[in-house]
Amino acid sequence: MAEDVLLHLNNIDVFYGSIQVLAGISLEVKSGEIVAIVGANGAGKTTLLKTVSGALHPARGSIKFAGEDITNLNAYDIVNRGISHVPEGRRLFPEMTVLQNINIGSYNRNARGKHDENLARVYELFPVLQVRKHQLAKTLSGGEQQMVAIGRGLMANPKVIIIDEMSLGLSPLIAKELFRILHEIKIRGITILLVEQNVWQTLHEADSAYIIETGRITLSGKAIDLIEEEKIRNAYFGV
Amino acid sequence: MELLSNLASPIVIGILMGGLYVVIALGLSLVFGVMKVINVAHGDLVIFGSYMAYAALTTLGLNPLWWILPSLPLFFILGYLIEKYLLNRAAKISPDAALIIAFGLALIVQNASQIIWTPQTRSLITDFTMTTFKVGRVYIPLVYVLDFVAALVVMVVVRQFLQRTYLGQAITAASQDRQTAELMGINPSRVYQVAFGIAMALASIAGIFYGLTFSFYPSSGPALLIIAFGVIILGGLGSMVGTFIGGMIFGLSQTLGGYFFGPTGQLLVPFLMVLLVLTIRPQGLFGR
Repeated sequence: MAEDVLLHLNNIDVFYGSIQVLAGISLEVKSGEIVAIVGANGAGKTTLLKTVSGALHPARGSIKFAGEDITNLNAYDIVNRGISHVPEGRRLFPEMTVLQNINIGSYNRNARGKHDENLARVYELFPVLQVRKHQLAKTLSGGEQQMVAIGRGLMANPKVIIIDEMSLGLSPLIAKELFRILHEIKIRGITILLVEQNVWQTLHEADSAYIIETGRITLSGKAIDLIEEEKIRNAYFGV
Repeated sequence: MELLSNLASPIVIGILMGGLYVVIALGLSLVFGVMKVINVAHGDLVIFGSYMAYAALTTLGLNPLWWILPSLPLFFILGYLIEKYLLNRAAKISPDAALIIAFGLALIVQNASQIIWTPQTRSLITDFTMTTFKVGRVYIPLVYVLDFVAALVVMVVVRQFLQRTYLGQAITAASQDRQTAELMGINPSRVYQVAFGIAMALASIAGIFYGLTFSFYPSSGPALLIIAFGVIILGGLGSMVGTFIGGMIFGLSQTLGGYFFGPTGQLLVPFLMVLLVLTIRPQGLFGR
């Protein structure tokens, strides 16, 4: 089973200055799964993702990806290895067109050769982006912007795509549509690591999940089992 | 009536000279847009470009227009190295440190020019320096037309590079959101080095055409920096079209100011325009 683990975090500690944000986080992402990290605002979810993609570096612990240590690599090197990060708040390049935003996703050297193939896939997943391709990114609606952000992430030709707060600020209908597309992405063989505040829906969509509270993982397991867990029902669902 | 009937000349010259200002301003605009550093050495680097063309002319007998070709890679590499070994390291300490380094660079360039070429006024004189031709009732010096053509060519080439190449798009992306650019696999340090290299190459072109148009001396640089600032403020930062229009407005208000108010109006009017734009539309006419 061990060779199935694509991404492995081992005992990660992360600090902002002298303040510890993550303490002893260990988690595994298996190839081909949708793995969710859920928890309240400020629990450290975004910090965790930033640490994986190299925007932050852990004080202790190690991160292994596809069998190689990536703990201290720069963010721009980690993209080359096959981890693509769709940041919280979409973070599109506002003065660039939709197509330019999508194209810059394939900047890394392993993705350029597959640009045309990946672009066709992105348009297949999000047909609306083909209609909007010459519009400036800042003129799109929130849902469409999230589609561009995910499309841009897929252009990097990743093995794992990390998506931070995909459904934040979007209508339930659009959020549902995006989750449906995540399953299509998964079918195409891309592993997904997801961070969400929307615990209920996320646990229904993910294969496995980690619950994070104030920088520590308090529960983990199959997503379907966590839904039944008493503690979660009390803390997040209020039933 | 007499006064107005002669307007054609300052208008034509103003627009053509505006082209020169566009080329001077582009390098400053690019570096600020991407690196958020005000390169206070920019004017002096332009004049350094004039002096290098002067050296090629006097020692090798090379026509300044031919000097453009070898100077582009030379200045690009120089700019790349300056960013990599000076500005980049300073910027890691603080943005102010980079500013101080740029200021030091300006002093070094000025004083080195003074030692090598003396404080005497120089100019790039070639066989076409004095060529003029007559259109209607207006006499137009050939070098002014070259300035304008240079502006058009430089604008189109830079724009195509920024829009159509991976590296150009990386520069554009990094100027809009550096952190997210890193998530795209873009190494920001490399982007800064390339951007500064391009700005240096632009300074060389600007210096060559400035030297063909006007005479220069070692401390001509700071005045050019101020003009470049004026152009950017008028047009708006980060807008290519804005920089172009800004250059035109600056050139026009300079020649028209001189025409109506005499030599004192030549710089007074353009900078009054700058103040006016700063008051009414601080982001510039085409700024966002």
